[in-house]
Amino acid sequence: MFRIWRVLLLVLSLAILSYARSSTGSSVLVVLDPSLSKDNYSIFFKGLEEQGYELTFRAPKDVAPAIIQDGIASFAHVILFTPETKTYAKDITPQSLVDLLSQNTNVILALGSKQTPLTSLASEFSLILPPPGTPLISHFPERDTPATVIPIPVSSSSPALTSGLAPVWYSGIPFALGNNPLLVPFLNAPAESFAADTTEDSGADALVDAAEKGGEGLWAGKDMSVVTGFQTVDGGRVLFVGGVELFNDEFAKKEVTKGVRSGNAQFAREMAAWTFQESLVLRIDDSAHHKVNETEPRDKYTTNDRIVYTTHISKYNPATNAWEPFSGLTDVQLEFTMLDPHIRTALPPVPSKPGEYSVTFRVPDRHGVFKFVVDYKRKGWTHLHSSTTVPVVPPRHDEYPRFLSAAWPYYVGAISTSAGFVLFSVLWLAGDDRDQRKKKGVKAE
Amino acid sequence: MAGPKASSTAARPASSSSAGDSSAIQSLWRTYNDTTPSRLKLVDCFLVFLMLSGIAQFLYCILVTNFPFNAFLAGFGSCVGQFVLTASLRAQVNPENRAEFKEVSPERAFADFALGSIVLHFFVFNFLG
Repeated sequence: MFRIWRVLLLVLSLAILSYARSSTGSSVLVVLDPSLSKDNYSIFFKGLEEQGYELTFRAPKDVAPAIIQDGIASFAHVILFTPETKTYAKDITPQSLVDLLSQNTNVILALGSKQTPLTSLASEFSLILPPPGTPLISHFPERDTPATVIPIPVSSSSPALTSGLAPVWYSGIPFALGNNPLLVPFLNAPAESFAADTTEDSGADALVDAAEKGGEGLWAGKDMSVVTGFQTVDGGRVLFVGGVELFNDEFAKKEVTKGVRSGNAQFAREMAAWTFQESLVLRIDDSAHHKVNETEPRDKYTTNDRIVYTTHISKYNPATNAWEPFSGLTDVQLEFTMLDPHIRTALPPVPSKPGEYSVTFRVPDRHGVFKFVVDYKRKGWTHLHSSTTVPVVPPRHDEYPRFLSAAWPYYVGAISTSAGFVLFSVLWLAGDDRDQRKKKGVKAE
Repeated sequence: MAGPKASSTAARPASSSSAGDSSAIQSLWRTYNDTTPSRLKLVDCFLVFLMLSGIAQFLYCILVTNFPFNAFLAGFGSCVGQFVLTASLRAQVNPENRAEFKEVSPERAFADFALGSIVLHFFVFNFLG
Protein backbone atom coordinates (compact mmCIF):
# COMPACT_ATOMS: atom_id res chain seq x y z
CA MET A 1 0.00 0.00 0.00
CA PHE A 2 2.76 2.44 1.00
CA ARG A 3 4.62 1.60 -2.22
CA ILE A 4 1.62 2.48 -4.38
CA TRP A 5 1.27 5.83 -2.67
CA ARG A 6 4.93 6.55 -3.28
CA VAL A 7 4.65 5.69 -6.96
CA LEU A 8 1.53 7.81 -7.32
CA LEU A 9 3.24 10.72 -5.62
CA LEU A 10 6.24 10.34 -7.91
CA VAL A 11 4.05 10.25 -11.01
CA LEU A 12 2.16 13.30 -9.82
CA SER A 13 5.31 15.27 -9.12
CA LEU A 14 6.73 14.21 -12.50
CA ALA A 15 3.57 15.34 -14.23
CA ILE A 16 3.82 18.76 -12.59
CA LEU A 17 7.53 19.14 -13.17
CA SER A 18 7.69 17.70 -16.66
CA TYR A 19 6.39 20.97 -18.06
CA ALA A 20 9.23 22.89 -16.55
CA ARG A 21 11.57 23.30 -19.45
CA SER A 22 13.96 25.68 -21.08
CA SER A 23 12.82 28.31 -23.52
CA THR A 24 15.20 26.97 -26.17
CA GLY A 25 14.76 23.19 -26.04
CA SER A 26 15.02 20.17 -23.80
CA SER A 27 17.79 18.04 -25.31
CA VAL A 28 21.00 18.02 -23.27
CA LEU A 29 24.33 16.44 -24.12
CA VAL A 30 26.44 15.58 -21.08
CA VAL A 31 30.10 15.04 -21.86
CA LEU A 32 31.39 13.19 -18.80
CA ASP A 33 35.01 12.45 -18.09
CA PRO A 34 35.59 8.68 -17.64
CA SER A 35 37.13 9.39 -14.23
CA LEU A 36 33.81 10.78 -13.01
CA SER A 37 30.93 8.44 -12.26
CA LYS A 38 27.44 9.35 -13.39
CA ASP A 39 26.10 8.01 -10.11
CA ASN A 40 28.08 10.54 -8.09
CA TYR A 41 26.10 13.33 -9.77
CA SER A 42 22.72 11.62 -9.61
CA ILE A 43 20.98 14.42 -7.68
CA PHE A 44 21.92 17.01 -10.32
CA PHE A 45 21.18 14.80 -13.34
CA LYS A 46 17.95 13.33 -11.87
CA GLY A 47 16.81 16.85 -11.09
CA LEU A 48 17.30 17.84 -14.72
CA GLU A 49 15.47 14.73 -15.97
CA GLU A 50 12.58 15.42 -13.62
CA GLN A 51 12.43 18.92 -15.08
CA GLY A 52 11.80 17.36 -18.47
CA TYR A 53 15.29 17.48 -19.96
CA GLU A 54 16.41 14.54 -22.08
CA LEU A 55 20.00 13.79 -21.11
CA THR A 56 22.40 12.04 -23.48
CA PHE A 57 25.73 10.95 -22.03
CA ARG A 58 28.99 10.47 -23.86
CA ALA A 59 32.69 10.37 -23.05
CA PRO A 60 35.01 13.09 -24.40
CA LYS A 61 36.63 10.71 -26.86
CA ASP A 62 33.41 9.14 -28.15
CA VAL A 63 32.68 9.97 -31.77
CA ALA A 64 28.88 9.95 -31.51
CA PRO A 65 26.67 11.79 -30.89
CA ALA A 66 28.45 14.83 -32.29
CA ILE A 67 27.72 18.20 -30.70
CA ILE A 68 27.61 19.85 -34.13
CA GLN A 69 26.33 17.95 -37.16
CA ASP A 70 26.81 19.62 -40.55
CA GLY A 71 27.25 23.00 -38.89
CA ILE A 72 24.00 22.72 -36.93
CA ALA A 73 23.95 22.17 -33.18
CA SER A 74 22.54 18.74 -32.36
CA PHE A 75 21.53 19.59 -28.79
CA ALA A 76 19.91 22.56 -27.16
CA HIS A 77 22.29 22.46 -24.22
CA VAL A 78 25.71 20.96 -23.53
CA ILE A 79 27.23 20.09 -20.16
CA LEU A 80 31.00 19.55 -20.16
CA PHE A 81 32.01 17.83 -16.92
CA THR A 82 35.53 17.26 -18.17
CA PRO A 83 37.84 19.23 -15.86
CA GLU A 84 40.90 17.08 -16.48
CA THR A 85 40.40 15.88 -20.05
CA LYS A 86 43.17 16.97 -22.38
CA THR A 87 42.13 15.24 -25.60
CA TYR A 88 38.65 15.24 -27.10
CA ALA A 89 37.05 13.73 -30.15
CA LYS A 90 37.33 15.88 -33.27
CA ASP A 91 33.99 17.59 -32.84
CA ILE A 92 34.74 19.17 -29.45
CA THR A 93 37.13 22.08 -29.85
CA PRO A 94 37.09 25.58 -28.37
CA GLN A 95 36.01 26.86 -31.80
CA SER A 96 33.10 24.43 -32.02
CA LEU A 97 31.95 25.49 -28.54
CA VAL A 98 32.00 29.13 -29.63
CA ASP A 99 30.01 28.09 -32.72
CA LEU A 100 27.48 26.44 -30.42
CA LEU A 101 27.09 29.62 -28.38
CA SER A 102 26.52 31.68 -31.50
CA GLN A 103 23.70 29.26 -32.40
CA ASN A 104 21.97 30.04 -29.10
CA THR A 105 23.07 26.76 -27.53
CA ASN A 106 23.90 26.92 -23.84
CA VAL A 107 26.97 25.37 -22.27
CA ILE A 108 28.01 24.50 -18.71
CA LEU A 109 31.79 24.18 -18.42
CA ALA A 110 33.56 22.69 -15.41
CA LEU A 111 37.19 23.78 -15.15
CA GLY A 112 39.92 22.09 -13.16
CA SER A 113 43.36 22.91 -11.87
CA LYS A 114 45.03 21.22 -14.84
CA GLN A 115 45.85 22.91 -18.13
CA THR A 116 43.27 21.73 -20.72
CA PRO A 117 41.80 23.08 -23.94
CA LEU A 118 38.92 24.48 -21.87
CA THR A 119 41.23 26.68 -19.79
CA SER A 120 42.45 28.38 -22.94
CA LEU A 121 38.81 28.81 -23.98
CA ALA A 122 38.03 30.46 -20.63
CA SER A 123 40.57 33.20 -21.25
CA GLU A 124 38.68 34.07 -24.46
CA PHE A 125 35.71 34.90 -22.22
CA SER A 126 37.75 37.35 -20.10
CA LEU A 127 38.31 34.85 -17.30
CA ILE A 128 41.87 34.98 -15.96
CA LEU A 129 42.81 31.60 -14.54
CA PRO A 130 45.53 31.07 -11.93
CA PRO A 131 48.62 29.02 -12.80
CA PRO A 132 47.91 25.28 -13.15
CA GLY A 133 47.79 23.28 -9.96
CA THR A 134 46.76 26.09 -7.61
CA PRO A 135 43.33 25.33 -6.13
CA LEU A 136 41.40 27.69 -3.87
CA ILE A 137 42.36 27.33 -0.21
CA SER A 138 40.79 28.77 2.90
CA HIS A 139 41.51 28.02 6.55
CA PHE A 140 38.32 29.77 7.67
CA PRO A 141 35.88 28.91 9.10
CA GLU A 142 37.29 26.16 11.29
CA ARG A 143 35.97 22.80 10.10
CA ASP A 144 36.86 19.15 9.72
CA THR A 145 37.29 19.15 5.93
CA PRO A 146 40.58 19.72 4.05
CA ALA A 147 41.56 23.35 3.42
CA THR A 148 40.60 22.98 -0.25
CA VAL A 149 36.97 22.13 0.55
CA ILE A 150 35.38 25.45 1.44
CA PRO A 151 31.84 26.48 2.40
CA ILE A 152 31.07 29.64 0.41
CA PRO A 153 28.12 31.81 1.48
CA VAL A 154 25.86 32.74 -1.44
CA SER A 155 25.31 36.45 -1.84
CA SER A 156 21.84 37.00 -3.27
CA SER A 157 22.80 39.92 -5.53
CA SER A 158 21.78 38.12 -8.72
CA PRO A 159 18.03 37.72 -9.41
CA ALA A 160 18.80 34.27 -10.83
CA LEU A 161 19.44 32.99 -7.31
CA THR A 162 16.97 32.53 -4.48
CA SER A 163 17.86 34.70 -1.53
CA GLY A 164 18.64 32.99 1.75
CA LEU A 165 20.39 30.01 0.14
CA ALA A 166 22.54 27.97 2.52
CA PRO A 167 26.35 28.14 1.96
CA VAL A 168 27.69 26.03 -0.88
CA TRP A 169 30.52 23.51 -0.55
CA TYR A 170 33.19 24.23 -3.10
CA SER A 171 36.43 22.63 -4.18
CA GLY A 172 38.29 23.87 -7.23
CA ILE A 173 40.07 26.84 -8.72
CA PRO A 174 39.18 30.52 -8.51
CA PHE A 175 39.47 32.93 -11.43
CA ALA A 176 39.84 36.65 -11.79
CA LEU A 177 37.37 38.48 -14.02
CA GLY A 178 38.32 40.78 -16.85
CA ASN A 179 36.26 43.88 -17.52
CA ASN A 180 34.00 42.26 -20.10
CA PRO A 181 30.46 43.60 -19.49
CA LEU A 182 28.90 40.33 -20.67
CA LEU A 183 30.25 38.46 -17.64
CA VAL A 184 27.74 37.64 -14.89
CA PRO A 185 29.49 36.63 -11.67
CA PHE A 186 27.26 34.40 -9.51
CA LEU A 187 29.48 33.10 -6.72
CA ASN A 188 32.60 34.87 -5.46
CA ALA A 189 35.38 33.36 -3.41
CA PRO A 190 35.35 34.12 0.34
CA ALA A 191 37.44 37.08 1.47
CA GLU A 192 39.86 34.85 3.46
CA SER A 193 40.53 32.43 0.60
CA PHE A 194 43.53 32.35 -1.72
CA ALA A 195 44.93 30.16 -4.47
CA ALA A 196 48.09 28.25 -3.61
CA ASP A 197 49.88 25.15 -4.81
CA THR A 198 50.31 23.67 -1.34
CA THR A 199 48.45 23.42 1.91
CA GLU A 200 51.67 22.68 3.80
CA ASP A 201 53.06 25.20 6.23
CA SER A 202 56.35 25.26 4.29
CA GLY A 203 54.74 27.55 1.69
CA ALA A 204 53.26 29.85 4.29
CA ASP A 205 56.25 32.20 4.49
CA ALA A 206 55.91 33.13 0.81
CA LEU A 207 52.21 33.84 1.38
CA VAL A 208 52.92 36.04 4.38
CA ASP A 209 55.54 37.96 2.40
CA ALA A 210 53.11 38.49 -0.46
CA ALA A 211 50.35 39.58 1.91
CA GLU A 212 52.66 42.15 3.52
CA LYS A 213 53.41 43.61 0.09
CA GLY A 214 49.73 44.43 -0.26
CA GLY A 215 48.79 41.12 -1.84
CA GLU A 216 51.09 41.53 -4.81
CA GLY A 217 51.22 38.38 -6.90
CA LEU A 218 48.69 36.70 -4.65
CA TRP A 219 45.48 35.14 -5.96
CA ALA A 220 43.29 36.03 -3.01
CA GLY A 221 40.19 37.76 -1.83
CA LYS A 222 36.53 38.16 -2.61
CA ASP A 223 37.02 39.77 -6.02
CA MET A 224 37.85 36.33 -7.40
CA SER A 225 34.94 34.36 -8.75
CA VAL A 226 34.30 30.63 -8.68
CA VAL A 227 31.03 30.45 -10.63
CA THR A 228 30.58 32.94 -13.45
CA GLY A 229 28.15 33.12 -16.33
CA PHE A 230 28.67 34.74 -19.70
CA GLN A 231 25.85 35.77 -21.99
CA THR A 232 26.84 36.27 -25.61
CA VAL A 233 25.49 39.11 -27.70
CA ASP A 234 23.30 36.60 -29.54
CA GLY A 235 21.78 35.31 -26.30
CA GLY A 236 23.62 32.04 -25.82
CA ARG A 237 24.65 31.44 -22.22
CA VAL A 238 27.73 29.72 -20.86
CA LEU A 239 28.52 28.94 -17.23
CA PHE A 240 32.07 28.54 -15.99
CA VAL A 241 32.45 26.57 -12.76
CA GLY A 242 35.88 26.31 -11.17
CA GLY A 243 35.29 22.83 -9.73
CA VAL A 244 32.99 20.03 -10.88
CA GLU A 245 32.57 18.77 -7.30
CA LEU A 246 30.09 21.59 -6.73
CA PHE A 247 27.49 19.43 -8.51
CA ASN A 248 28.19 16.07 -6.89
CA ASP A 249 25.99 14.16 -4.44
CA GLU A 250 28.51 14.17 -1.62
CA PHE A 251 28.59 17.97 -1.41
CA ALA A 252 24.82 18.20 -1.90
CA LYS A 253 24.19 15.97 1.12
CA LYS A 254 26.99 17.36 3.26
CA GLU A 255 25.98 19.53 6.19
CA VAL A 256 27.35 23.07 6.35
CA THR A 257 26.62 23.46 10.03
CA LYS A 258 24.95 20.96 12.29
CA GLY A 259 21.49 20.19 10.98
CA VAL A 260 21.75 22.54 7.97
CA ARG A 261 22.24 20.91 4.60
CA SER A 262 24.40 22.70 2.08
CA GLY A 263 22.78 24.76 -0.67
CA ASN A 264 24.61 22.85 -3.42
CA ALA A 265 21.62 21.00 -4.87
CA GLN A 266 19.46 24.10 -5.20
CA PHE A 267 22.38 26.29 -6.27
CA ALA A 268 23.29 23.83 -9.04
CA ARG A 269 19.63 23.62 -10.10
CA GLU A 270 19.28 27.40 -10.28
CA MET A 271 22.56 27.81 -12.13
CA ALA A 272 21.42 25.22 -14.68
CA ALA A 273 18.09 27.05 -14.93
CA TRP A 274 19.89 30.30 -15.73
CA THR A 275 22.29 28.69 -18.18
CA PHE A 276 19.57 26.72 -19.97
CA GLN A 277 17.54 29.92 -20.43
CA GLU A 278 14.76 29.12 -18.01
CA SER A 279 15.19 32.10 -15.72
CA LEU A 280 15.74 35.78 -16.53
CA VAL A 281 14.62 35.24 -20.11
CA LEU A 282 12.80 38.17 -21.69
CA ARG A 283 11.56 39.07 -25.11
CA ILE A 284 9.90 42.04 -26.79
CA ASP A 285 6.58 40.89 -28.24
CA ASP A 286 5.80 43.98 -30.27
CA SER A 287 6.26 47.71 -30.30
CA ALA A 288 4.05 50.41 -31.73
CA HIS A 289 3.97 54.18 -32.05
CA HIS A 290 1.33 56.74 -32.89
CA LYS A 291 0.48 60.39 -32.40
CA VAL A 292 -1.32 61.46 -29.23
CA ASN A 293 -5.11 61.17 -29.73
CA GLU A 294 -4.66 58.76 -32.64
CA THR A 295 -4.39 54.97 -32.74
CA GLU A 296 -2.72 54.12 -36.05
CA PRO A 297 1.01 54.60 -36.67
CA ARG A 298 1.94 57.25 -39.21
CA ASP A 299 4.32 56.85 -42.14
CA LYS A 300 6.13 59.94 -40.95
CA TYR A 301 5.95 62.44 -38.14
CA THR A 302 6.30 66.19 -38.09
CA THR A 303 8.80 67.99 -35.87
CA ASN A 304 7.38 68.83 -32.45
CA ASP A 305 4.58 66.24 -32.73
CA ARG A 306 3.66 64.50 -29.50
CA ILE A 307 4.12 60.72 -29.93
CA VAL A 308 3.12 57.72 -27.83
CA TYR A 309 5.52 54.76 -27.97
CA THR A 310 4.31 51.44 -26.59
CA THR A 311 6.07 48.10 -26.28
CA HIS A 312 5.09 44.75 -24.78
CA ILE A 313 7.67 42.68 -22.90
CA SER A 314 7.21 39.04 -21.92
CA LYS A 315 9.15 36.86 -19.54
CA TYR A 316 9.51 33.12 -19.95
CA ASN A 317 7.87 31.12 -17.18
CA PRO A 318 9.50 27.66 -16.96
CA ALA A 319 6.78 26.39 -14.62
CA THR A 320 4.10 26.69 -17.31
CA ASN A 321 6.43 26.56 -20.31
CA ALA A 322 4.86 29.80 -21.57
CA TRP A 323 5.64 33.43 -22.16
CA GLU A 324 3.85 35.72 -19.74
CA PRO A 325 3.49 39.52 -19.82
CA PHE A 326 6.08 41.01 -17.50
CA SER A 327 5.82 44.43 -15.91
CA GLY A 328 8.68 44.04 -13.45
CA LEU A 329 11.28 46.09 -15.31
CA THR A 330 11.59 49.61 -13.92
CA ASP A 331 14.70 50.81 -15.74
CA VAL A 332 13.83 50.37 -19.41
CA GLN A 333 14.75 53.35 -21.55
CA LEU A 334 13.59 54.52 -24.95
CA GLU A 335 15.93 56.42 -27.23
CA PHE A 336 14.86 58.50 -30.22
CA THR A 337 18.03 58.57 -32.25
CA MET A 338 19.43 60.10 -35.40
CA LEU A 339 23.10 59.03 -35.11
CA ASP A 340 22.96 60.24 -31.49
CA PRO A 341 19.99 59.85 -29.18
CA HIS A 342 18.14 63.17 -29.42
CA ILE A 343 15.81 61.95 -26.69
CA ARG A 344 16.53 59.34 -24.04
CA THR A 345 13.61 58.81 -21.71
CA ALA A 346 12.38 56.27 -19.19
CA LEU A 347 9.93 53.70 -20.59
CA PRO A 348 7.88 52.86 -17.50
CA PRO A 349 5.41 49.97 -17.20
CA VAL A 350 1.74 50.92 -17.52
CA PRO A 351 0.22 50.07 -14.11
CA SER A 352 -3.11 48.68 -15.30
CA LYS A 353 -1.87 46.66 -18.29
CA PRO A 354 0.50 43.73 -17.64
CA GLY A 355 3.57 43.64 -19.84
CA GLU A 356 2.91 47.03 -21.42
CA TYR A 357 5.48 49.82 -21.31
CA SER A 358 4.55 53.20 -22.68
CA VAL A 359 5.84 56.76 -22.85
CA THR A 360 4.64 60.00 -24.44
CA PHE A 361 7.22 62.46 -25.66
CA ARG A 362 7.68 65.40 -28.01
CA VAL A 363 9.60 64.87 -31.24
CA PRO A 364 12.65 67.15 -31.29
CA ASP A 365 12.67 70.25 -33.48
CA ARG A 366 14.89 68.50 -35.99
CA HIS A 367 13.97 66.68 -39.17
CA GLY A 368 15.65 63.54 -40.51
CA VAL A 369 15.44 59.76 -40.31
CA PHE A 370 14.99 58.81 -36.66
CA LYS A 371 14.85 55.46 -34.88
CA PHE A 372 12.93 54.35 -31.82
CA VAL A 373 15.51 52.25 -29.97
CA VAL A 374 14.88 50.10 -26.91
CA ASP A 375 18.22 48.67 -25.82
CA TYR A 376 17.98 46.84 -22.50
CA LYS A 377 21.13 45.05 -21.42
CA ARG A 378 21.37 44.02 -17.80
CA LYS A 379 23.69 41.48 -16.25
CA GLY A 380 22.06 38.06 -16.27
CA TRP A 381 18.93 39.10 -18.17
CA THR A 382 18.34 38.43 -21.83
CA HIS A 383 19.42 41.40 -23.90
CA LEU A 384 16.46 43.21 -25.39
CA HIS A 385 16.90 45.25 -28.53
CA SER A 386 14.24 46.79 -30.71
CA SER A 387 14.69 49.41 -33.39
CA THR A 388 11.98 51.05 -35.52
CA THR A 389 12.89 53.55 -38.22
CA VAL A 390 10.60 56.51 -38.82
CA PRO A 391 11.16 59.71 -40.82
CA VAL A 392 10.55 63.09 -39.19
CA VAL A 393 9.71 65.91 -41.61
CA PRO A 394 9.37 69.68 -41.12
CA PRO A 395 5.81 71.11 -41.20
CA ARG A 396 4.17 71.67 -44.59
CA HIS A 397 4.00 75.27 -45.79
CA ASP A 398 0.46 75.67 -44.42
CA GLU A 399 1.14 73.98 -41.08
CA TYR A 400 3.18 76.74 -39.48
CA PRO A 401 1.48 78.81 -36.76
CA ARG A 402 0.20 82.22 -37.88
CA PHE A 403 -0.66 85.57 -36.25
CA LEU A 404 1.66 85.04 -33.32
CA SER A 405 1.37 87.67 -30.61
CA ALA A 406 5.15 88.16 -30.59
CA ALA A 407 5.04 89.19 -34.25
CA TRP A 408 2.47 91.99 -33.90
CA PRO A 409 5.11 94.80 -33.90
CA TYR A 410 6.29 93.53 -37.27
CA TYR A 411 2.74 93.26 -38.60
CA VAL A 412 2.01 96.81 -37.39
CA GLY A 413 5.27 98.00 -39.00
CA ALA A 414 4.41 96.49 -42.38
CA ILE A 415 0.77 97.65 -42.28
CA SER A 416 1.73 101.17 -41.20
CA THR A 417 4.24 101.39 -44.05
CA SER A 418 1.51 100.47 -46.53
CA ALA A 419 -0.95 102.89 -44.93
CA GLY A 420 1.75 105.55 -44.95
CA PHE A 421 2.36 104.89 -48.63
CA VAL A 422 -1.34 105.28 -49.43
CA LEU A 423 -1.62 108.43 -47.31
CA PHE A 424 1.55 109.84 -48.87
CA SER A 425 0.28 109.12 -52.37
CA VAL A 426 -3.03 110.84 -51.62
CA LEU A 427 -1.31 113.90 -50.17
CA TRP A 428 1.16 114.01 -53.04
CA LEU A 429 -1.53 113.84 -55.68
CA ALA A 430 -3.71 116.31 -53.79
CA GLY A 431 -0.79 118.70 -53.38
CA ASP A 432 0.21 118.34 -56.98
CA ASP A 433 -2.20 120.86 -58.52
CA ARG A 434 -1.71 123.42 -55.85
CA ASP A 435 2.03 123.29 -56.23
CA GLN A 436 1.83 123.55 -60.01
CA ARG A 437 -0.62 126.41 -59.74
CA LYS A 438 1.76 128.13 -57.34
CA LYS A 439 4.62 127.54 -59.71
CA LYS A 440 2.54 128.78 -62.61
CA GLY A 441 1.57 131.81 -60.59
CA VAL A 442 5.19 132.47 -59.76
CA LYS A 443 6.08 132.05 -63.41
CA ALA A 444 3.19 134.28 -64.47
CA GLU A 445 4.37 137.02 -62.17
CA MET B 1 21.94 131.10 -49.27
CA ALA B 2 23.05 128.59 -46.68
CA GLY B 3 26.66 128.85 -47.81
CA PRO B 4 27.51 132.37 -46.61
CA LYS B 5 25.71 131.88 -43.26
CA ALA B 6 27.63 128.68 -42.59
CA SER B 7 30.92 130.43 -43.39
CA SER B 8 30.00 133.33 -41.12
CA THR B 9 29.36 130.98 -38.17
CA ALA B 10 32.64 129.17 -38.87
CA ALA B 11 34.42 132.52 -38.73
CA ARG B 12 33.27 133.13 -35.14
CA PRO B 13 35.74 132.66 -32.24
CA ALA B 14 36.15 129.06 -31.13
CA SER B 15 35.50 129.90 -27.45
CA SER B 16 31.71 130.02 -28.00
CA SER B 17 31.58 126.89 -30.20
CA SER B 18 28.53 125.34 -28.50
CA ALA B 19 26.55 128.51 -28.97
CA GLY B 20 27.81 128.57 -32.56
CA ASP B 21 26.68 124.95 -33.10
CA SER B 22 23.19 125.61 -31.81
CA SER B 23 22.86 128.66 -33.93
CA ALA B 24 24.14 126.65 -36.90
CA ILE B 25 21.42 124.07 -36.35
CA GLN B 26 18.85 126.83 -35.93
CA SER B 27 19.93 128.51 -39.14
CA LEU B 28 19.97 125.17 -40.95
CA TRP B 29 16.40 124.51 -39.77
CA ARG B 30 15.28 128.00 -40.76
CA THR B 31 16.86 127.69 -44.18
CA TYR B 32 15.27 124.28 -44.65
CA ASN B 33 11.86 125.69 -43.73
CA ASP B 34 12.25 128.64 -45.99
CA THR B 35 13.72 127.09 -49.11
CA THR B 36 12.36 123.53 -49.30
CA PRO B 37 9.23 123.05 -51.43
CA SER B 38 6.26 121.69 -49.45
CA ARG B 39 6.19 118.48 -51.53
CA LEU B 40 9.75 117.69 -50.51
CA LYS B 41 8.79 118.40 -46.89
CA LEU B 42 6.02 115.86 -47.28
CA VAL B 43 8.55 113.38 -48.64
CA ASP B 44 10.89 114.12 -45.73
CA CYS B 45 8.06 113.55 -43.21
CA PHE B 46 7.43 110.14 -44.73
CA LEU B 47 11.16 109.33 -44.69
CA VAL B 48 11.43 110.22 -41.00
CA PHE B 49 8.38 108.09 -40.21
CA LEU B 50 9.87 105.11 -42.10
CA MET B 51 13.20 105.56 -40.33
CA LEU B 52 11.58 105.62 -36.88
CA SER B 53 9.42 102.61 -37.71
CA GLY B 54 12.46 100.68 -38.93
CA ILE B 55 14.47 101.58 -35.82
CA ALA B 56 11.59 100.53 -33.56
CA GLN B 57 11.30 97.13 -35.25
CA PHE B 58 15.04 96.59 -35.17
CA LEU B 59 15.18 97.37 -31.43
CA TYR B 60 12.23 95.04 -30.80
CA CYS B 61 14.03 92.31 -32.71
CA ILE B 62 17.26 92.76 -30.73
CA LEU B 63 15.78 93.40 -27.29
CA VAL B 64 12.61 91.26 -27.24
CA THR B 65 12.46 88.54 -29.84
CA ASN B 66 13.42 87.80 -33.43
CA PHE B 67 10.74 85.11 -33.63
CA PRO B 68 9.11 84.75 -36.12
CA PHE B 69 12.11 85.87 -38.12
CA ASN B 70 10.27 86.02 -41.45
CA ALA B 71 7.87 88.58 -39.95
CA PHE B 72 10.82 90.68 -38.81
CA LEU B 73 12.41 90.49 -42.26
CA ALA B 74 9.14 91.48 -43.90
CA GLY B 75 8.40 94.38 -41.54
CA PHE B 76 11.94 95.72 -41.46
CA GLY B 77 12.38 95.11 -45.19
CA SER B 78 9.21 97.02 -46.01
CA CYS B 79 10.56 100.04 -44.10
CA VAL B 80 13.97 99.90 -45.77
CA GLY B 81 12.51 99.27 -49.24
CA GLN B 82 9.95 102.03 -48.91
CA PHE B 83 12.68 104.37 -47.62
CA VAL B 84 14.87 103.67 -50.67
CA LEU B 85 11.98 104.17 -53.10
CA THR B 86 10.90 107.38 -51.39
CA ALA B 87 14.46 108.72 -51.32
CA SER B 88 14.75 108.02 -55.04
CA LEU B 89 11.50 109.88 -55.60
CA ARG B 90 12.84 112.82 -53.62
CA ALA B 91 16.05 112.91 -55.66
CA GLN B 92 14.14 112.83 -58.93
CA VAL B 93 11.54 115.51 -58.13
CA ASN B 94 13.93 117.89 -56.35
CA PRO B 95 14.02 121.05 -58.53
CA GLU B 96 17.74 121.44 -57.78
CA ASN B 97 18.43 118.08 -59.51
CA ARG B 98 16.45 118.94 -62.60
CA ALA B 99 19.63 119.18 -64.63
CA GLU B 100 20.51 115.62 -63.73
CA PHE B 101 17.07 114.06 -64.43
CA LYS B 102 16.19 115.96 -67.57
CA GLU B 103 14.27 113.14 -69.21
CA VAL B 104 12.37 112.15 -65.99
CA SER B 105 9.34 114.29 -65.35
CA PRO B 106 7.97 114.46 -61.76
CA GLU B 107 4.86 112.57 -62.92
CA ARG B 108 6.97 109.80 -64.38
CA ALA B 109 9.04 109.68 -61.16
CA PHE B 110 5.89 109.32 -59.05
CA ALA B 111 4.53 106.59 -61.31
CA ASP B 112 7.80 104.66 -60.94
CA PHE B 113 7.64 105.17 -57.20
CA ALA B 114 4.02 104.00 -56.94
CA LEU B 115 4.60 100.89 -59.06
CA GLY B 116 7.75 99.97 -57.15
CA SER B 117 5.96 100.42 -53.81
CA ILE B 118 3.02 98.26 -54.84
CA VAL B 119 5.35 95.45 -55.93
CA LEU B 120 7.28 95.83 -52.66
CA HIS B 121 4.15 95.61 -50.53
CA PHE B 122 2.98 92.58 -52.46
CA PHE B 123 6.15 90.73 -51.51
CA VAL B 124 6.12 92.06 -47.94
CA PHE B 125 2.63 90.77 -47.21
CA ASN B 126 3.42 87.44 -48.81
CA PHE B 127 6.43 87.08 -46.61
CA LEU B 128 4.86 88.39 -43.42
CA GLY B 129 3.28 85.00 -42.54
